[in-house]
Amino acid sequence: MTGPGADTANRIGMVLGTEDVMPTVFWFAVSAGASVQLDDLVVVQTRRPDGRTVRFFGLVDNVRKRHEGVTFESDVEDVVAGVLPASVSYAARVLVTRVDPENFIPPQPGDTVRHAHGDDLKMALSADKMGEASFPGGLLADGQPLPLNFRFVNGESGGHINISGISGVATKTSYALFLLHSIFRSGVMDRVAQASGGRMAGTSGGRAIIFNVKGEDLLFLDKPNSKVQKKEAEAQSGKGLDADRYTLLGLPMSPFQDTQFLAPPRAGTSGSAIVPHTDQRSEGVTPFVFTLREFCANRLLQYVFSDAGSSLNLGFVIGNIEEKLFRLASAQTGNGTGLSVDDWQVDLSETPPEDLEFGELGGVNLRTFDQLISYIEFKLLEDRDGEGDPKWVLKQAPGTLRAFTRRLRGVQKHLTPLIRGDLTASEAARYRPNLLSGAQLSVVDIHNLSGPAQMFVVGVLLRQVFDHKEKYGRQDTVFVVLDELNKYAPRDEGSPIKDILLEIAERGRSLGIILIGAQQTASEVERRIVSNAAVRVVGRLDLAEAERPEYRFLPQSFRARAGILQPGTMLVSQPDVPNPVLVNYPFPAWATRGDEVDDLAGRSVVEVGDDWLR
Amino acid sequence: MRIRLDPWPVDTQDGQLTLKPFAGLVFNAETDRWAAIAPREVPSWLTRVLVVDGKRRMEARLLLDDEAGGLSLAGFGAYVAGAVDLCPHGSRQADLLKVVAQRVLAYSGDGGVTLEPTRLSPRNPHTGQLEYTPHAFAGTQLEGALGKVQRLMLDAEGDLSRRLAAALPLDEHDRAALPDTLVLQDGPVRIGGAGRAVLGCVKTLHTDYLGADRIGLLGTLKPGERTPVLRFRVGDQGGSQDSEGREQRFTWYVRLCDPPFYQHPLAGVMRLEMHAPEDSDFVPRAVLQVANLSGQLLCRLASTPHKDARAPQNLIPTAALEHAMDRAMGSAELVTRRIRSHLARELGQPTGAVA
Repeated sequence: MTGPGADTANRIGMVLGTEDVMPTVFWFAVSAGASVQLDDLVVVQTRRPDGRTVRFFGLVDNVRKRHEGVTFESDVEDVVAGVLPASVSYAARVLVTRVDPENFIPPQPGDTVRHAHGDDLKMALSADKMGEASFPGGLLADGQPLPLNFRFVNGESGGHINISGISGVATKTSYALFLLHSIFRSGVMDRVAQASGGRMAGTSGGRAIIFNVKGEDLLFLDKPNSKVQKKEAEAQSGKGLDADRYTLLGLPMSPFQDTQFLAPPRAGTSGSAIVPHTDQRSEGVTPFVFTLREFCANRLLQYVFSDAGSSLNLGFVIGNIEEKLFRLASAQTGNGTGLSVDDWQVDLSETPPEDLEFGELGGVNLRTFDQLISYIEFKLLEDRDGEGDPKWVLKQAPGTLRAFTRRLRGVQKHLTPLIRGDLTASEAARYRPNLLSGAQLSVVDIHNLSGPAQMFVVGVLLRQVFDHKEKYGRQDTVFVVLDELNKYAPRDEGSPIKDILLEIAERGRSLGIILIGAQQTASEVERRIVSNAAVRVVGRLDLAEAERPEYRFLPQSFRARAGILQPGTMLVSQPDVPNPVLVNYPFPAWATRGDEVDDLAGRSVVEVGDDWLR
Repeated sequence: MRIRLDPWPVDTQDGQLTLKPFAGLVFNAETDRWAAIAPREVPSWLTRVLVVDGKRRMEARLLLDDEAGGLSLAGFGAYVAGAVDLCPHGSRQADLLKVVAQRVLAYSGDGGVTLEPTRLSPRNPHTGQLEYTPHAFAGTQLEGALGKVQRLMLDAEGDLSRRLAAALPLDEHDRAALPDTLVLQDGPVRIGGAGRAVLGCVKTLHTDYLGADRIGLLGTLKPGERTPVLRFRVGDQGGSQDSEGREQRFTWYVRLCDPPFYQHPLAGVMRLEMHAPEDSDFVPRAVLQVANLSGQLLCRLASTPHKDARAPQNLIPTAALEHAMDRAMGSAELVTRRIRSHLARELGQPTGAVA
């Protein structure tokens, strides 16, 4: 209890005695002239009977005003008419985020409430516990940066970030990119590495892989945004900030550096040139393909079947064929990228492909995905007068085998451009997706691919990353940004990709693979993936969605507010702070569309023109 | 046969069903024509209206027991007088002037004893302190303590009214003096308060100042209308010289609302009172102005039955003030408990046994 006259200078209110005062939640009356809004961080100090003090840090999650001392609602007219004396009571509710020391006694009604600034703010947000591991996760309502604990992101104490929100207004990808920018450019990786004796990788060690699933939004991350200056100036004056938001956060207002852009090739006939399948950006985008031999050698067949889990028999067939193809690939001697087989009696096939290449000893050189399927069809259904090769069939019913080949034929069109056996070894090396030793930030554009092909690419690349990290350990943290998790890891169905994502979610943090996943509705994503995320972020939510159990980490008042959040505003929950905090984050400094690219790179038109004339 | 309701709640002391005729003389002061006078707008020179009221309560009755074996009566009580400050034109918010309760230890002064101020030391240090100032009253009767508290409250109320009200000269030469601040005093104006712009509002009518020939007008008044101003002498018993009364008063009646058909015809009629100069038969201009504006002003301040059982006479600011005064006196239950535990401590008993 603070006596009368004690520190009234910074007082914004007093703890109310007419509402229950609890160690975790209390109300305070806002002093005349003070202004308190939602998300303000406050501190209260109370004195125990033994003279020791306990401080309560919390954030305002509710504010209300009402006429005090009047009974009837119609009294407001008399009050305004100047007939009825009444005062306005202005009260705010505080959710306590921290008690220091941890004596969970209630504060005393009448205790002074102050805004948390400086060290108090650090205590309120547990930044003192984070130390060198804190990096900015956005701006609080009063313009102070929100510290996030990198140790809960990089897998040391926890890992993974999950972002939920309605498409379009929740701007999940934008926030994920902002977090990456903050991680890469705030120097937190270096600081953490240094603090742990250099065993952890520094800034140069962290990598990120982003799967671009919508439009070509993410193909310009290395270009400056022409609107950022204007938008930030508007935000600065609109919110009454002292500086632009990048400055306040201590981050450079610059696009991503050290980037590479990967895109699948355009569909074409066998032997045609490999050009990236992008519409807005052509230069600086590397096409990627998988060779037929890799497809077999690396057991990639399972990623063709996103619904393999639906039938036990089908899974058995897939596993068996995968094994057969793996053996075939292992037996290859040449350095080509195709697959030579010598047991395909083409003349017995019902519909043999036309452009087959026959080897010297009568064998067949498989050079396309189409041919591979034809070969598998032959082995399963046509060999031995329709009985198939018994080693391949393994006594499976013809119906199952037909289901298998029918599915393969179904995705043939989508995967043919991606899986090629007609490349030279050097071409194959050039177009092999290189996510872990290339640039710091890799954008894999899969938006032009059909659903099965997207699943295939994501599954294959994640498997590669996972295998690589399993081999080399957790150094060089890899951040994987994947939107629409509900598509890749749905709650109810199984698929090989979901298995990988689950592995990443459950084991990835110890291997240094961090999943920054996003989805519209967390309730439709595999629960174990969402629940493994240490940092959870919520943008605008559908109110019905917000009431689902996945969002129980939000207090009720925050769930209601999730329905009215504006773009650029997120609720961030991290393990160090028991309550979520509302932040806004700056407009992207990188172009998010082709027309946002700042061709002048921040220079004036005249300056650029001079360069041209020179 | 027709059944009418008394407008006052049943717990109000003797309602308003019958009126006792006034024994003394009542004169027409404004005009001889006995007819309703229409309300006028509140003039702009009146900028401030203060509604003054008081409240009191007994918190404990005591029996004092001195060493000689003498017994006397006493009591712990509290009173408060306060005011609401408002603008009659509604141009600003109404405010409560500082409402602070006074605590009284009223005791019989006949035994010659004097008492020290009593402070109840609180058991819980967070509930503030209670300090009772001793005041002696004459006599040994049971109601003496309550009477003393009541007297103190009325004095405080009167003082407050006089202090807050603007000057209102009542002599002939100053007919133009108009008060900018008017005090609405709960109940009749107080003896000795002449010369200030204090308007007494009598809520319950017990005495008939009009007589059978004139009282009929009250039933026909429309909201805001008033009767002409009359003049009488307080305490006038009629007849003999020494029972002439003490002070001259002006009075008139105002209707605040249309009475529901089922109520007494005088429901919603209020009697107003102001000081009058001695031995004169004119009405000062300022008094006339106040009478003219009273209908309009009081209709604005009148309450409605669903909010206040004593509506419309118990004005909206008065009800709010009563509420504030109750609050200033604190929870009666809590105070009584504090008194009990104080006495227990004084008598050397463990407080837990009685608190």
